Parts: sequence; C-alpha cells; structure tokens
Amino acid sequence: MRIVIAEDSAILRQGLVELLGLRGHQVVEAVKNADDLRAAVREHRPDVSIVDIRMPPTHTDEGLRAAIELRAERPGCAILVFSQYVETNYAKQLLAGEAGAVGYLLKDRVAEVSDFLTALERVAAGETVLDPEVVRQLFAATGHAGPLAELTPREREILGLMAQGRSNSAIAAETFLSAGSVEKYVTSIFGKLGLPPSDEDNRRVLAVLRYLDS
Amino acid sequence: MNPAFPRALWPASGRQTLGEALWIVVTGLLAPVAVVLLLAGTVLGLALTPVLLGFLVLVGMLRVARGFGGVHRRLAGRLLGLPLPPPGPAGLEPGLWNWLVARLGDRMAWRSVAYLLLRLPLGLIMLFASGALGFFGLASFSYPITWLMRGPYHHGLPVYNIDSQSWAGSLVWCAGGALVLLVWPAFVHVFTWADRLLLRALVVDPQLRERVRFLEETRATALDDAAEQLRRIERDLHDGAQAQLVAMAMKLGLAKEELAAGEIDLDQVRALVDAAHANAKQALVELRDLARGIHPAALDKGLSTALSTLASSAGFAATVSVELSRRPPPSLETIVYFAAAELMTNASKHGAGRCAVLVDDREETLQLTVIDHGAGGAEIVPGGGLAGIAERLRPADGELTVSSPRGGPTVVAAVLPLPG
Repeated sequence: MRIVIAEDSAILRQGLVELLGLRGHQVVEAVKNADDLRAAVREHRPDVSIVDIRMPPTHTDEGLRAAIELRAERPGCAILVFSQYVETNYAKQLLAGEAGAVGYLLKDRVAEVSDFLTALERVAAGETVLDPEVVRQLFAATGHAGPLAELTPREREILGLMAQGRSNSAIAAETFLSAGSVEKYVTSIFGKLGLPPSDEDNRRVLAVLRYLDS
Repeated sequence: MNPAFPRALWPASGRQTLGEALWIVVTGLLAPVAVVLLLAGTVLGLALTPVLLGFLVLVGMLRVARGFGGVHRRLAGRLLGLPLPPPGPAGLEPGLWNWLVARLGDRMAWRSVAYLLLRLPLGLIMLFASGALGFFGLASFSYPITWLMRGPYHHGLPVYNIDSQSWAGSLVWCAGGALVLLVWPAFVHVFTWADRLLLRALVVDPQLRERVRFLEETRATALDDAAEQLRRIERDLHDGAQAQLVAMAMKLGLAKEELAAGEIDLDQVRALVDAAHANAKQALVELRDLARGIHPAALDKGLSTALSTLASSAGFAATVSVELSRRPPPSLETIVYFAAAELMTNASKHGAGRCAVLVDDREETLQLTVIDHGAGGAEIVPGGGLAGIAERLRPADGELTVSSPRGGPTVVAAVLPLPG
C-alpha cells in the first residue's frame, strides 16, 4: 500500500517508516505537521494515511482537524488517527462525519505489530476501526447502570467488538460463533439498548459510540 | 482596589437597598455622636496638655476614633456588603515615650478621625436627602387615598405642597410618587457609592492594601510558573521518554514476529534488538534528565552537596562555598538551587568561564552571590534571564541585585528572607 505518515516525533516517524517498509508497504511521504500533511495527501492520494493527533504548533489536535478536513474534502480518504491518550471526544468528532475508512488507535497499539497492520489494512479497505482500549474505557465510564447492565456477558463482548468496528463475520471468527448466532445477538443487543438496527458496520460503530458516551 | 463606578446605577437586590438604607440611617445618627465625642476629647486633651493627663486624653480620643472606624468598617461589612480587612495593630514598643509616640502617631487612628470628620456632613446630607425623598415618594404615592380621607375643602397635604383640586389630579401625584419610589433605591445606591469610596480610601490600612496587592501578584506568578513547569514536564515526557519507549516496543514486536516466523532472518533480528536497546538507554537518559530538572536528588543532602554536584556534572568551572548556620526550609533551598544553576550557566556562557558561588545566611536572610570576571555589562532586562530569576524570587519576597560594570567583575546577589 502507499502510505503517508504525519508524526512530529522523529524517533517514531523513523520507526514507523522502517516498520512499514519491512512489511512491504511504501511510505510515499513522512511529514511533521498538519499543513505538510494536507499538502502530501492532496498530492499523493495515498491508500491510507497515518496521522498523529498532536502536532505543532499548539500540540493539541492539529492532526485530528486536518484528518476531518481531508475526509470532508474527499469521502473515502482513508485515515488512521493515532493518539497517546484515550480521548473519547476526539473519537466522536472523527467518526461524526462520513463513516468508513477511518480509524482511531492508541500509539501503544503499534507495539502489537500484526494488530496495527491489520487495523491499517482494514481502514484502507473502507472499514471503521476503534481501538479496543478506547472501547473498554467507554464501557467503564458508563458504569453498570442502565440497559448495559441488562446485557449478558456474551452480549457485552459482542457489543465491544462491534464498537471496534468489526463486521459480523469478523466477530463470528473471533468469538467462535456461527454467523447466524452473531446476527441474533446483534439484533438482541440493539433491541435492548433501543438503538435503530443498522446493517452497515460503519454506522454501527458511531451508534454504539454515541450510546456509550451519553 | 479602585472601585468602579456603579456599573448599574441600580442596586443589586432589595436586600442591598435595605442594607444601604439602614447604613445611611445608622451612620447618619452615629456621625454627630462620634464627632462630638472626638471634639470634646481633643479640646480637653489640648487643654490639659501641660499635664501628662492631656496626652492620655488625646490618646484616648484616638483610640475612640479607631474604635468608631472599626464600627463603621463592621457596619459596612454587614450592611453594604463590603468586607474590609481590619487594620493591623499600632506598632507598640516598650517605654512610655515610645508608647506615646506610637499611640499619638497611629496613622490608622488619624485616618479614622479624618473619615469621621468627613462623614459628618456627608452622613447628615445623605440622611436628610434620602429621608426627604423617600417620604415625598410615599406621601405622593398614597395621595389618592389620603385625598379621599381629607375633608372636601382641604385636599392638600401639609407636606411638600402636595395639593390637587380633583381626585384625578391626585393620580398624577401618585404616578410621580411611584416614579420617585422606583428611583429611590438607585438614589441611595449612588450615595453609598461615595461612602464606599471613602471607606476604601480611609478605613483600610494602605500598607495592608499594598501587601495584599503584592501577594496577589506574586501568587499569580507562582501559580503560572507551576503550571508552566508541569506543562513542560508533560511535553518532555511525551516527546522524550514515551516516544523512545513506543519505538522500542515497535522494534521488539517486529523482532518477536520475526522469531516466530518459519525462516528466521537473524541479521534482521539482531538489528532490531540493537535498535530497541538503544531506544531503552536513551529513554533512561531522558528520564534521568527530567527528574533532575524537577528535583535533583542531591538537593536532599543540602545546598552544599547539590551545588557542588551540579558544578562538576555540568562542567562549570565554579568554586562553591556554602556557609549556613542552619538548613533553610526546602522551598528556599530549591529556589536558591535553580537560581544558582541559571546564574552558573550564564557565567559559563558570558563570563570568563570561571565563577564563584557563595551561599550564606546572616541577619535572617539567605544570600546567594555569584561572581564572575567576565566582560560585564549584564543587567536586568524585561523578558531576559535575570528578570526571570528575579520574578521567581518574588513569591518568596526575595530580591535580585546586579552589579556589572563594563570590564567586570559581575556580581549577582539574590537575597531571600528566612522565616522565623
């Protein structure tokens, strides 16, 4: 795949370039700030971009805003956003626009090389990916009150996987259930939480995210 | 503490109006009493001056004045909602003469006298004006009713020439009265604004006010400093140690995958592990530097050890001499340490390279002196390094002095008061 990297820390930028190179991807450009990122993506039109949220000059959310802008410009522009910390607010902003071809990962996830690369490929393929840690924190934040408490442990597990952006078949593979059972669980979950049923995996993530964060 | 002109001419609430009205009444009545007492005391005291008794009477008068000032201050707190700090006690020293001088020269007492004298005319005017206005308002407002109660030939009220031949006319008076009553709270509010000004000017100890302003400023500086420092630590951690560790985790992750593969490329693995090792060592360096920037471990052993360690590890050619009769509190040690560090850096950059660092305590102050024989010409420029050091000394009531003639030597001294 052709990839653009936006990361202000030289060490990490270097590391990512090496990592991706070793796995057969081509880094067309590696930039240090949001403006260069915008220019690079517009010029090279990569298959996917990896963007650090915090970049100069203010080191708050430059990367995030650039990502949202680029996706608004060209729907389907695949961007995987990196963050050192879990910021559920950022996740919501990112997913609020066009669903699909977008991901939000913690930087720690890079340590699990295969997980990271899978997430990258999924985003490039048009899926929505949310870091499991983000999902876990969201679960923890809502507490045990409300309809969430009515879900069975199995249903909570599947809800978590849905929130990560997995498709039904992926969930089935991970939980060793049949596709039919997964579908039944999903319907049951949506029913219990009062969410409108949604076939589209990408829309599901946003719905679940909104629900968990409310 | 400059009072702004009442932003709204209107008082804040009904309660405030009540408080202000009560204030006008009470102080209006109190003013003549106070002034009479003061005058009597002064006359008596002056008359008896050849005898010691005269002085005592004068002192008594001043204390009474101070007391009245205190009463007004407390009343202002309750009724006007204006909390004012009490003045400090008159600084008394032993000895009859000193006592007399202190008591008679008590600035706060004389300020109270001035306040009471000024208040007398002001208070009486306020009392009568607001009373008259209020009474007029009430009388006019209730005129339609009283008109009906008066006989057929005398419709006029004995006050304010309120008179009308017809009942309809009385309604006009009523409207006017209503208007006056509506405006009355604002009237009272504006009056008390003048009073608040007077109170703030005269009843508050100016030294206290100065001190409070100084403390507010330096506290703001200290808080900003602390916040800035925390931000810097977070950034250093994020960009330094954290980045190294993530890179290290990446490389080890790759190495793991490689080792789990069918055909292991050992050269690849070696390169990855080497690189990960380098990341780990660099992370340690970053963390150590950061820790030293927050609180150097050597400081726990005292300024002497800390400064010598700093000089040798940073490569400053500095002679450190610390002579302290007792250990200063840790907060002062930290301030002196970081100030010395910055001054030593300056000396090594602009000075002749060598410098002497002296720390000693005498007369209840902690003194840091840094001397170098460089080119001189250093001065405290706003926004410069020396100004920054001076700023950081201020919250501890410290001062920085610089003597740096062209050609040297440059002597920078930081003086901090020691508590207790």
